[in-house]
Amino acid sequence: MCPTPIITTLRPGDTTKTNPFTVVIVSNPSLEAPLNSGTFVIDPITTMQAAFNTAATRIVSALFALLPTQRERFIAHPSIGPKIRVISAFVSGLPAQQSNSLVAQDAVSTLLVARRTVFMPFLLGIGINVADVVYAVSMSETHRRASAWFTSDDDAKAGIGFTLDSGMFTHRFFNIVPGTVAIHSSTDTFTPLHEFGHALSSYSNGKVVDLYTDSGPGINNKNGRPIPPHFDSYDGTALASDLTRDGLGYPPGWSSYHCELIDPAVPAVMDNYFAAGTPEACQHDTMTRQFLMDRLRAKISR
Amino acid sequence: MEPLKPEVRKRILDEHPQASPEDIEEYERLLSERFTVDPDLPMAPEVSDQRNADEERLAELYDKLFSTP
Repeated sequence: MCPTPIITTLRPGDTTKTNPFTVVIVSNPSLEAPLNSGTFVIDPITTMQAAFNTAATRIVSALFALLPTQRERFIAHPSIGPKIRVISAFVSGLPAQQSNSLVAQDAVSTLLVARRTVFMPFLLGIGINVADVVYAVSMSETHRRASAWFTSDDDAKAGIGFTLDSGMFTHRFFNIVPGTVAIHSSTDTFTPLHEFGHALSSYSNGKVVDLYTDSGPGINNKNGRPIPPHFDSYDGTALASDLTRDGLGYPPGWSSYHCELIDPAVPAVMDNYFAAGTPEACQHDTMTRQFLMDRLRAKISR
Repeated sequence: MEPLKPEVRKRILDEHPQASPEDIEEYERLLSERFTVDPDLPMAPEVSDQRNADEERLAELYDKLFSTP
């Protein structure tokens, strides 16, 4: 692949591992505009390396709890943070074509959407052969909202089991398709952490869904009324429901309900953190925090 | 999916009198639901039909919420 990408190891992670848990932050060479159109244009980020570097710094800061006043620090835990490798890749000069397009502009919103199946072939082409969560950074002139696809686990490979009330599941070591995030270079400081919650979660072993809308079932969301006091049991530990969606309230007509918050004074990270005034004050709910920490610990142990 | 900022929600309602908070809620729910199904796995016909209907509804809501006044 030509020209040569600029690949930087931002955090080395666990250098004793053949396949360390790896977060990749890559500039999007080509935008599909709109999504599923087959029309591709050069992404302006390809000539804006400083903007890409700023976005990469924001992503790392949100993940590793480097934001001033940030209270959600689970990735920075001493048993997790030092084991995570973070690589940035600034890629420019590639033609606008399907194989170089990691991000699309949605036709019915201002969402940036990851073209998830393109990611690994593209990354392999620039010499990155391990990726668990990938952020593709765009500088679209019209679309600025981030979105993420969950990980497609490799359920044929090993992992570490866990239980919910609904049965047994596995924190898989490897994926078929990594968690993928499409994000704008001007992202606010906290959104990368919200999208990481989605992207690290799994289509087959626990979805972390949005809590700011009346979502379907996920590891962090259930549906039904009246809200029962018991939310779920995770590995035998009973977790309570958030009966009031503290601070925000469940709108009439919703069937969703959530797990108890760690800090009832502010919304959960997967809820509308913008409503907190200071998003950095938000923390995950109890279930999401434990699920994501255990999933990370499983993967970094591989 | 990144949530809507409160000021964006307010602006939509201010600039589009025909739009309601319920429209925004439905729009956001349908957008968010897109990402909860693995797009690369085969879908049952009824699921595929529902998703097509959801996309049509999203297009209607997009026009209602974001068309130039």
